[in-house]
Amino acid sequence: MKSLLGPGSQRAVIWWRRLVVMTRKEMLQLFRDVPIVVFLVYSFTLAVYITGNGLRSQLHNASLAVYDADHSISSRELIHKFQAPFFRLEGEITDPQESLRLLDRGKVMVVLEIPPRFHEQLVAGEPTAVQLLVDTTNSPQGLSAAGYAARIVARFGQETALARVGSSEESSQSLPVIESNHRVWYNPDQNEAWFEAISHLLRQITIFAILLPAAALVREKERGTVEQLLVSPLTPLQIMLPKVLSMTVVILCATAVGLFGIMQPVFGVPIKGSIVLFFGLTALFVFTTAGMGLAAATLVRNQAQVGMMTLLVVAPMLLLSGLTAPMEAMPEWVRHLMVLSPLRYFVEITYGILLKGAGLNILWDSVLAMAVLGAALFGFGMWRFRRQFE
Amino acid sequence: MNLRRVAAVASKEWRETVRDRMFLLLAFLLPALWMLVFGYGLVLDVENIPFAVVDQDRSALSRDYLYRFFESRYFSFQGYLPSEREADALLQSGKIRAAIIVPEKFEDRLLAGQPVGIQTVIDGTFPLRTDITKGYVVAINSAFSEERLIDFFSRRSGISRPQAEVRVQPIKLEVRYLYNQEVRSTWSMVPALVMFALMLSSPLLTALGIVREKETGSIYNIYSSTVTRIEFLAGKLLPYVLISWVNAVVLWVMATLWFGVPFKGNLLFFLAASLVFVLSSTGIGLLVSLLVRTQIAALLVTVIVSILPTILYSGLTVPVSSLSPGSQIQAHLFPGMYYTNIVRGAFLKGVGPEVLWVDVLALAVYAVVLRIVGYQLFTKRPRS
Repeated sequence: MKSLLGPGSQRAVIWWRRLVVMTRKEMLQLFRDVPIVVFLVYSFTLAVYITGNGLRSQLHNASLAVYDADHSISSRELIHKFQAPFFRLEGEITDPQESLRLLDRGKVMVVLEIPPRFHEQLVAGEPTAVQLLVDTTNSPQGLSAAGYAARIVARFGQETALARVGSSEESSQSLPVIESNHRVWYNPDQNEAWFEAISHLLRQITIFAILLPAAALVREKERGTVEQLLVSPLTPLQIMLPKVLSMTVVILCATAVGLFGIMQPVFGVPIKGSIVLFFGLTALFVFTTAGMGLAAATLVRNQAQVGMMTLLVVAPMLLLSGLTAPMEAMPEWVRHLMVLSPLRYFVEITYGILLKGAGLNILWDSVLAMAVLGAALFGFGMWRFRRQFE
Repeated sequence: MNLRRVAAVASKEWRETVRDRMFLLLAFLLPALWMLVFGYGLVLDVENIPFAVVDQDRSALSRDYLYRFFESRYFSFQGYLPSEREADALLQSGKIRAAIIVPEKFEDRLLAGQPVGIQTVIDGTFPLRTDITKGYVVAINSAFSEERLIDFFSRRSGISRPQAEVRVQPIKLEVRYLYNQEVRSTWSMVPALVMFALMLSSPLLTALGIVREKETGSIYNIYSSTVTRIEFLAGKLLPYVLISWVNAVVLWVMATLWFGVPFKGNLLFFLAASLVFVLSSTGIGLLVSLLVRTQIAALLVTVIVSILPTILYSGLTVPVSSLSPGSQIQAHLFPGMYYTNIVRGAFLKGVGPEVLWVDVLALAVYAVVLRIVGYQLFTKRPRS
């Protein structure tokens, strides 16, 4: 760093040239490892396509079996309301004992039981009840299925009841009810492919950014080549920074391929905000995340250790940063812990820029937090690195 | 196959692992720590949705209506806004995820027996949250409507409230939650986490262990020794299978004693099935280690082939039946899904081999196929 502050611009030029040479060296090393290149390409193209295409976190096709003891118009009508995309009718069962067997085997998730005299009671205006058995081994999905079922049954009940009295007295136009109107913003058609494809891209960026620079640094330590670098005129910063820079360049290119090659043409993901801002902040995110990997790398001695260490960190980052489940429902301490996860800020930033068209005036707090975190992590890594080798 | 040579390779591997204190510590710490963090931290429910209100009516009835949102644990009230414009800005910055707009004359219209439209603006970036938010809003709206209707009918037709209730809503839905009667998130999450922790840690452990020898070159000792291919692979994998299996037991103990998840199945069956699973997950590590030359590549490839399918396709969060056909194929190609069935079945449903044999069989086939492929790929005569 001193050379930068020095009087001659000559020295600055040399400083930069060294940085560039080292960055090239890191790139060469990276691209000579064929499996890494293969997986890099796969991760940012095919994997994004598969996930965007296939993954649905909402309840879809909850498998349903029906036990209909009534076999009437009304019961059939009600069964008919349980349909795609939420439910998929697997078939009718004739024996109520059968339902538990199917649930045990995981063949169905929900069983609807309609009692005898269902139609009769409805017509007579008497109260009646249908039963729903729900497999809650996956509790959010179970609750979701029960919620949809409740809505379907309530609407069906209300419709039949009002039809019974309504034809003579009043139409629903003149009843004191609340009509729910929804306006969904930023993704009006509820296209899940947008969310899943973007989420997947973020996961891939995180994994590459944290693993590769960290492992590259430890490899130098493990093989002893770092000693060679340290006796060269390079400063520790010139050794560490290129590992991040090369990764940043590679990830930015891969992101561009994923974004313009898959997400925009195939899924129609909108890019509402500034594309320059997005790539700039992606670079900042890679820098911060790589700083986290490098900080971990200075704590361990060999690559096997760094592998376990980064995985220890990366799994909570991926699952708790708001990509898999919304942050709001998480316990307080998780939200405090995730202050340390750069991905958490980047999730806000990415969705903000791509879908909401937000600019720095709105995202500045996330950007600031990420920058401070990145500087702290990188500073810690540098400090450890210097202490180990000087 | 000479068992003594297998034992020799295994004990060499074991010693190497044990002497690397940090590695050994992480091998056991990783699954246990994840279990703790995710067991408490990974809540998939959608709750505390931050929302704001634009109340253009400001009447007793509108407050009564909105009060249902304030009280609900699904929503977290952030404040009143003067107009929709402020709501837009807050939505864009992510400070709120929904805004409810109560129109003017809300009370007047309802009391006069006329319908009222309630506008809800929802942030659509996270479709799961959007959808669930919508569901909660609809549920609150229809409960409120129902009450208004009952009130309306009983006043107008002069019938008692219970009579009016039947008139408005003749069908009751009785829901029975099976296997997890109180629908606790922990109960459904923690068993799946046994799968998650093993699925992530054991392939990495194995892959790194093998590639380490390739990269440092110490594998040439094996190439030039009398140890056959199969003896080497068996001995090499043994410690990692053992560590992973011990981890399975530790995770089981944590799940039952620490998190208090009921274990209704047969423990012996569970342990046997876990062994089969560990055999197949270490097989993934073996395969990766044979395809790559460097530890960096082993690390990256293992993480990508194990962590992402585990999060996405193993049934941890999304049930496999909800996936598109293409993704379902991917899910079936991956051992995580089968073991998720086994852990959830054994813990919560209390079913045993009579139901889960298919899954165990699939895992066994997986383990065998991976080993055969591994055996074919491993050669003592490297080309370069």
